[in-house]
Amino acid sequence: MESNAFQEGLVERLSWLIWLRWLAVIGALLTVLFVRQGLKFNLPGFPLYVIILALFIYNIVFFFLLIRVKKKSLAWVNKIANSQISLDLLCLAALIHFSGGIENPFIFYFIFHMIIASILLSRRHSFLQAAFGVLLFSLVVILEYLGVFPHYCLRGFIISCQYHNPLYLGGVSFVFVSTLFIAVYLATSISNRLRQREKVLEQANEQLRAKDRIKSEYVLHVSHDIKEHLAAIQGCLEPVVAKITGELNPKQLDLIQRAVHRTGKLMFYVKALLEITRIKLSRQIKMEYFSFGATLSEAISGVTGKAQEKNITLHSVLEPSIDKIRGSKEHIQETLTNLLANSVKYTPRNGKISIVVQDKGNRILVAISDNGIGIPQIELPRIFEEFYRASNAKEVERDGTGLGLSIAKQIIEIHHGKIWVESEEGKGSTFHIELPK
Amino acid sequence: METQRKVLIIDDDPDIVEAMKVVLESKKYQVVVAKNGEEGLKQVKLAKPDLVILDVMMETSDKGFDVARQIKSDKNSKEIPIIMLTAIKEKTGLDFKNEAGDEVWLPVDDYCDKPLNPEQLILKVELFLKDK
Repeated sequence: MESNAFQEGLVERLSWLIWLRWLAVIGALLTVLFVRQGLKFNLPGFPLYVIILALFIYNIVFFFLLIRVKKKSLAWVNKIANSQISLDLLCLAALIHFSGGIENPFIFYFIFHMIIASILLSRRHSFLQAAFGVLLFSLVVILEYLGVFPHYCLRGFIISCQYHNPLYLGGVSFVFVSTLFIAVYLATSISNRLRQREKVLEQANEQLRAKDRIKSEYVLHVSHDIKEHLAAIQGCLEPVVAKITGELNPKQLDLIQRAVHRTGKLMFYVKALLEITRIKLSRQIKMEYFSFGATLSEAISGVTGKAQEKNITLHSVLEPSIDKIRGSKEHIQETLTNLLANSVKYTPRNGKISIVVQDKGNRILVAISDNGIGIPQIELPRIFEEFYRASNAKEVERDGTGLGLSIAKQIIEIHHGKIWVESEEGKGSTFHIELPK
Repeated sequence: METQRKVLIIDDDPDIVEAMKVVLESKKYQVVVAKNGEEGLKQVKLAKPDLVILDVMMETSDKGFDVARQIKSDKNSKEIPIIMLTAIKEKTGLDFKNEAGDEVWLPVDDYCDKPLNPEQLILKVELFLKDK
């Protein structure tokens, strides 16, 4: 689990490195152009452009490697990270050699590679990369000094060439080498600490999830037991109310009807609680392809009766390109019914409810709007919380479970979708659902 | 004279059983009761009911499914309709040993969530017994 999260982070950072390299390619190209054409420095164009081209080409290779390879083992990711940084160092050393060697102030750009290595690699590998950087730098400096490699002087930038001045070479090399190692030391210290903290947080999260599971199992257990007893109570009361056991006097009938009514409400509540707990515990439901249009129609017909009672018009528009989507038909229908029933409940007589479903390529967007009582602005962020009921909703209906929207949210999230609401008190609400196809 | 239809209720909750018994007897059904799955299987053979109303959680949390399978796999009893007392959602929600939704695995004729109100109970029972 931890190493997975760590690995995912590493892959993400590798992509980031590739992105940075595109910038480096552009930066290097512009710098060389400016220095050669603008400042008229006598630098060899051909090798410089070839190096930049090489940088460009291997970045493309890494870009596709990262996309194509689906199964990325930690060792593979590490190898890729190490090779990228080594190649970058090589390129930088080559660029430096062809543009002034030790006299080129860009030698300090080696620091960036050290910081990147410290973020991506282990401490040991970061120091090894630093050593490789120092080796490349020393090779350039020594071979130019010995005359094995030609030296390209940045005349105009410096007064006289320094590549054979031992004191200058010694001084710059000392600062350069110490800077590199100190940079790696500092950066790895920070990134190690961050990694440790990340690990601790991940563990804490895991513990929280485990605790939440235990709590949910407890709730499931308790509500299941309550439901069993409630079912028996309802089962015994109903034949009496239905007068199967004989006639009742009006007072008896009234009291028993009240008891049946309250038991029914409690049953509804316990069932909602059971359902949300089950969904939370399962995190997985049976997915299949089903017709979204047909499901929406069923959901609409489920609330049509109630809407007609209040003379509310229901209007739905479904883009014809929307056909089947993948998910749990039963749960999606329940969510739509739930939202529509809410709209009907909280919209006054003669109101309007509209359902618009748009095709967004690999996703669909559902918007259920009404011109009902709306939700107070301050309460909007809490509306999907379990047991939360908006203050004005309580005025319309005293007993609600406060679970309907949180069940809807759980269902949509299991489908890897999103649900959100826009609302203005007194004007109406729009619930949006985004679902993958 | 029309023979009295026989309904077997297999459920370990005596209160639920009593309530259903009162309702069914008011419609002149003969009611036989078994208070667990094993006893239920014996009663299927002995009493030869026209219909079985079957609870799920009895001796074990999925005993009802076992009982249903056994009734349906016996050639003497496989024609007897079974109404299972569980919500269809619970079928998938609870941690049963097998994957739900399989007709072979769950050979029942109808599901009902507990409690069944009197009208629904009578309606369902009549639906299964009217052709017999």
